[in-house]
Amino acid sequence: MKPKALLYIFFMLLMACKKEKQEQGTLQLTFTNVVNGAALTLNTASYTNAAGEAFTVSAFRYYISNITLVRMDNSEVKLADTYFLVDESKPASRTLQVMAPRGEYRAFSFLLGVDSVRNVSGAQTGALDPVNGMFWSWNSGYIMAKMEGTSPASAAAGQALTFHIGGFRGEYNAVRRISLVSPISLTVAADRKPDVTIKADLYTWFSLPNQVQFAQTATIHVPGEDAWKISENYSNMFRITSVTDL
Amino acid sequence: MGCLFLLIWSCRKTASVRPGPQPYTLELPADFPAPVYDMSQNPLTVQGVALGRRLFYDPRLSRDSTISCGFCHQQFAAFAHFDHPLSHGIDNNTGFRSVPGLFNLIWQKDFMWDGGVNHLEVQPLTPITDPNEMGEDLGRLISRLNADQQYRAMFNDAFGEGEINSQRLFRALAQFMATMNSFHSKYDSVMRKLPGAQFTPEEANGYRVFQEKCAACHKEPLFTDGSYRNNGLPYNPYLHDAGRMRITNSTGDYLKFKVPSLRNILKSPPYMHDGRFYDIFNVFDHYAEGIEQTPTIDPLVRNGIPLSVSEKRELYFFLNTLTDHTFINSKALSEILIDN
Repeated sequence: MKPKALLYIFFMLLMACKKEKQEQGTLQLTFTNVVNGAALTLNTASYTNAAGEAFTVSAFRYYISNITLVRMDNSEVKLADTYFLVDESKPASRTLQVMAPRGEYRAFSFLLGVDSVRNVSGAQTGALDPVNGMFWSWNSGYIMAKMEGTSPASAAAGQALTFHIGGFRGEYNAVRRISLVSPISLTVAADRKPDVTIKADLYTWFSLPNQVQFAQTATIHVPGEDAWKISENYSNMFRITSVTDL
Repeated sequence: MGCLFLLIWSCRKTASVRPGPQPYTLELPADFPAPVYDMSQNPLTVQGVALGRRLFYDPRLSRDSTISCGFCHQQFAAFAHFDHPLSHGIDNNTGFRSVPGLFNLIWQKDFMWDGGVNHLEVQPLTPITDPNEMGEDLGRLISRLNADQQYRAMFNDAFGEGEINSQRLFRALAQFMATMNSFHSKYDSVMRKLPGAQFTPEEANGYRVFQEKCAACHKEPLFTDGSYRNNGLPYNPYLHDAGRMRITNSTGDYLKFKVPSLRNILKSPPYMHDGRFYDIFNVFDHYAEGIEQTPTIDPLVRNGIPLSVSEKRELYFFLNTLTDHTFINSKALSEILIDN
């Protein structure tokens, strides 16, 4: 092969690399946690559930993973494996920087929880590090979402509310795919970084379709039917409230 | 002159760089199946195994620095807790199941008597954080390790520069546990037809009894099929242990427990998930005439397993050939004194 041809191939390779990099942009997802529309304030604020029982919230955390974007022609783009733990007590954790190919999108979806593969893959790091208190040691698997607090209606010690929702197997799989359609198209470009604000309403956990009365159920910390019912409820937790270009 | 200086300088630089971790060659028996644990994701190194061993024997992994993994997992008992029916922990606490022996773990697909733990790497999380065992918070433990100069150096040597995180902790422990393998018993020598290795007539008879009456569940060469079964033990009303049902929520798994390996069995009394039998002959008697009928009873033991007096004796002699003296005396696995 002539040196010129080699040079040409080298140049093409460079272009290909450049192109690959150019295509990536950022989509920002900002989660705002609320209870029945009111801003969530840990520990001090009191809320009322659908059954009319008062309660406070001391912890609220959930996993967001396996994000898929939907192009304008409805084709889907599965994004790289990234796991986010949204933790109300850590404000920075509520803003997710999502690497995405440049383009225009009309909708997206994500898992509320951690896919089954990562539940059976041994020691993990980052958001999935068991040090985050979102992994069951005695019955291996991630707690997909967690709410802790108190309620005068709770019969548990210290009037505690403990809702640790998980389970990745079989009929009581608590991992939920959440699909959200954007009110306007999302354009990821060199100079455009859409910021989607998503409201997560904790009220939904205890309302429909499986209403929870704290007087009867104040503690869930195993996978199974009760946890799965909450996951049915929390699959209605998210709404897009605004889209802006940053 | 300048070139010469540069050369010297570059040599110096190379010499001061620490050697990377050296691969650890794990000896595996040809007559065992392929391991379940995927070591390609956590390649064993000399430094990683040594670090795992130190962690295994370090009582500072427990909340009050009194109990190491090796406290309950004693080498002379094939890493079970000799003479202790239930697991012990900090603050004089007692668990509700017996301490299983630790060996051939890389061939196990899940762990604990109820199979609740699904991966070798996350297994240590249970005893470390269980309030009845080591009772420590994982985050506090990671901070303590990061504050320790010697551990930082050992972790760097094993996994490269960086903070100690729980993945590195668990992978180091997994590397050491991956070396805790037992396949040098007299039974193995006989099966491999090594020169001079043969069963005595009583052992040979015992092997026949075993093959006829025990081997369906205690499958060779691991001496367990890894399944969960209700072996007809009378329900213990003090422990309220539902067995595997605790994990699956299925009433079909009520009172089912993991079939344990019989390797090194005579070194690791007491027996059963709650350590109720101190003598292997009590175990024989249970299968012969002690079966309690419950809805989930295993079909293989439902009608009992008749064993004559001589068969029990022969079985005892056969089980004795499953003791692996190389393993329980291995210097590479023995306790190291941690000078804190």
